[in-house]
Amino acid sequence: MLTLLRDLRSLRRNLDLAGPDQGRSLAVRHVDAGSCNGCEHELTLVSSPYHDLQRFGLGIVASPRHADLLLVTGAVTTRMHDALLRAYDAMPEPRRVAAIGDCSLGCGVLGSPSELVGRVEDVLPVDVRIPGCPPAPGAIADALLGLLDVCG
Amino acid sequence: MTTAYRERIRVALADGWRFAGLHASASGSRVHVLLVRRGETRIETTDVAGHSVPSIVDLANAAGWDEREAHDLHNVGFGGHAPLRPLVTHDPRLDAWTVPVRGHDTYQVAVGPVHAGVIESGHFRFHVVGERILHLDPRLFYKHRGLERAAEGKTIDEGLKYASRACAACAVANGIAYARAAEVVQGLEPTPELSRVRTVLLELERMWSHLNDISAVCAGVGLAAGTNRFAALVERARRLNLQLTGHRFLFGSVRVGGSALQLHADDVAAARREVASIRIAAGRGVRELLFNASFQDRLPDVGIVTHADALRLGTVGPAARAAGVRHDVREHDTHLAYAGFAPVTPARAAGDVQARVEQRTLELEQTFGLLDGLLDGRIAPSTTTRSGSAQSVGVGRVESPRGETSCILERTGDLVERLRLRTGSYANWPSVAHAAANNLLPDFPLINKSFELCYACADR
Repeated sequence: MLTLLRDLRSLRRNLDLAGPDQGRSLAVRHVDAGSCNGCEHELTLVSSPYHDLQRFGLGIVASPRHADLLLVTGAVTTRMHDALLRAYDAMPEPRRVAAIGDCSLGCGVLGSPSELVGRVEDVLPVDVRIPGCPPAPGAIADALLGLLDVCG
Repeated sequence: MTTAYRERIRVALADGWRFAGLHASASGSRVHVLLVRRGETRIETTDVAGHSVPSIVDLANAAGWDEREAHDLHNVGFGGHAPLRPLVTHDPRLDAWTVPVRGHDTYQVAVGPVHAGVIESGHFRFHVVGERILHLDPRLFYKHRGLERAAEGKTIDEGLKYASRACAACAVANGIAYARAAEVVQGLEPTPELSRVRTVLLELERMWSHLNDISAVCAGVGLAAGTNRFAALVERARRLNLQLTGHRFLFGSVRVGGSALQLHADDVAAARREVASIRIAAGRGVRELLFNASFQDRLPDVGIVTHADALRLGTVGPAARAAGVRHDVREHDTHLAYAGFAPVTPARAAGDVQARVEQRTLELEQTFGLLDGLLDGRIAPSTTTRSGSAQSVGVGRVESPRGETSCILERTGDLVERLRLRTGSYANWPSVAHAAANNLLPDFPLINKSFELCYACADR
C-alpha cells in the first residue's frame, strides 16, 4: 500500500498539475446512449492522476438527481432513447448537457438507420460539444473546465 | 436433412470440436454453426424449413444466446429451445425475458441501463433474498447499432470498419479477425512482417486492456490507490499507442491485405523501453496488491465459474483460463507471430475473482515479454501474398483481451453478404450471470469487473 501511495505521490510531483481550485463545483452524470466504449474509456481517465479533474470540484455522481451536467456519449440508439430522456428529466434545474465524441454529434456514425434515433442534439438541448473519436481525456477535461468557467 | 444437422453437431462435439458461434444467413434461409478444434475451423450448415431449425442448445449450451439472437434478428425459430426468450429485442413484459423465480421472500432488484459510474449501458435484473443473489437475468443490446446489417452490401474493404469499430476496447482484435476473414475469401496470406506488426498491435491492445482490468477490480473493492496507480499506467499505454500509430486506441492501424505502419528502428526501440518501464511499474503495483490484505480478502471464493461450468457455458479468454481451461487462440495460430506460445493458467485455477485477477497479471507478463521480443528493429509497410483460391466464406479467429473472437465473412463478388462477429465478451456474458448466482449483491460489481466485458462488442 505504501509503495502504491509513494508511486502516486511521485507521479503527481512530476506531473506538476495546478493546485486545487477553490469554491466551485460541477456534479456530472454520464449516460452512454450507444457508444463503442471508446469515450467511456477516455472519460474514466479524466479522473486518473494525469488529469485529476476532482481538484476543480468536478466529480461523477451516481444519480442524475445529483447532477448539474449530463455527459452523453454515443449515437442515440432506439433502445437507449427512453432511458436517456428519463435521466435528463430526473435532473434538477438548471441543468446542462454535453455531447461527447463524434458519434454523439452525428459525425461518421456506423450502424443501421432503423436502430438509431440520431444525434444527441436531436433528442436533448446540447450546451457543449466535445468532438473526437474518441476525444482524449485532456480534451474532455478542457471542455468541462470551460463549462465550469461559464457556469461559475 | 435437419435431424442430420443435429447429428453432425453431436458427432463433431464428441470428436473434440468446440462450439464457437451460430448465425443465420442474411436472408434467414440458412443457419451456420462454427466449430473449432485447436487451429482448425469448420462450418456446419442447415437449411431453415418453415422458419425453423432444430435447436442445438442441449448439445452446446453456449449456443443459447446465438439462437436467441438469430430468432430476434432473422426470424429463425429453434425447435426444442423453449422458452426461446428475446435477447436483442426488448420485450417490455418482464415474464417474457426473465426466468421466474418464486419462493418465500424473493424480490427483484433492477439495475440499469444507466449505471452509477462511467459504465456502458445494460440492464441487470437480480432475483434476491436479502442480499443473496438467487439468479441474474442480464438484458443487454441497449447499444445495438445494427453494425452487421449495416455492413451488408459494402465492399469487403469497407466492411472492416463495421467490425473493428464495434468496440474501441477490442478494435484491433475485431479488426484483425475481420481482416483475416477477408484475406481468406480473397486467397491471401500475410507476410511474416505483416504477422509481426499485427501481433504488436494486438499485444499493445492487451497491455492497456489488462492494466485497465486490474484498475477496475481495484475500483470494485474500493481501493482507490490501486485504481489510480493502474489508471496512470493505462494512460501511459495509450500514449504509447498514440506515439506509435497516431491513435490512442490504435484505430486505423489494421487494414485488409497489408499494413501501412512504418516506424524507424529508434522509435521502435523507444517503444520497447517504455514497455519495459511500464512492466516494472505494473510489477510493483501487482506486488503491492498481493500483499494488501483488505484487497485480497475480497477476492477468493467469489463469483465462481468452475472448470466444468466453463466448458459447458463456452467461457473463453482469461475467465476460462482462470478456471483451468487452457484455450487460447494464440497457441495454434499460424497467421500471427505467436510461434511457441503456450497459454498460462494460475496455480489455483479456482475460477473465482482471485483467479481471474491473478490470470490478468500472468497474461500481462506474457504480453510484456511478447512485446519485448517483437519490438526489435524497424517496422516497415507490409503486405500479403496470394496463396490459394478465393473462397465464398472466410473465418478469422483472434484472441482478444477478453477471449476468443471469431469473424465470419460471407461474400457475393466483392461485396459483404453477411458479417458475423462473435467476440469474447459475447461468449462470456452468460458466464457473468452464472457467476453472480449465490453471491452477495454488493459483490456483483467486483464479479462483473473481474470479467470486465464490453457491452459494445456484445451488442454491436
